[in-house]
Amino acid sequence: MEVRQVVGSLVCTQRIPGLAHVDLRLVQDPQGHQAVATDPVGARPGDWVFLVSGSAARYAMGNADILTDLTVGGVIDQWEPA
Amino acid sequence: MKICQVERPLVSTNRIPGFEHKHLLVVRDGSSRQVAVDSVGCIPGDWVICVGSSAAREAAGSKEFPSDLTIVGIIDRWPPESETGAIGPGEHG
Repeated sequence: MEVRQVVGSLVCTQRIPGLAHVDLRLVQDPQGHQAVATDPVGARPGDWVFLVSGSAARYAMGNADILTDLTVGGVIDQWEPA
Repeated sequence: MKICQVERPLVSTNRIPGFEHKHLLVVRDGSSRQVAVDSVGCIPGDWVICVGSSAAREAAGSKEFPSDLTIVGIIDRWPPESETGAIGPGEHG
């Protein structure tokens, strides 16, 4: 599972029903690559989080009907980027 | 599957319930660091084999387990000294 930092929330009013009303977070790795992850734990901007990707991301949401391929697995208590 | 080295345990108090009480470890593959579910009981410094995709879920416990990287084995001897022949306890046993 990848480790990235939460940049902030993403507001996306017009979305497919498969995304229901889940929170979307913009996450970024030290090299600057950005991605959008669904967030069931409520990470705040600046938090370092680990991300579950692929089909496991749907199970990480607790409800496999959510159509995501990247989900926040948890907020890391302490992380210093390499 | 990849060969990684275990760096240290990952502490994440605020995490999804799907991980239950499984240990999460920071593993290093070359220069990149990732987080893997530990289902064999490793200690920092171990050289391990990590599996990804759907196999990672089943290796961690069940088909619905939310893992995309799971440690499935600890390598007895790595990196190998001898260049020839199979690597394993048998050869050095």
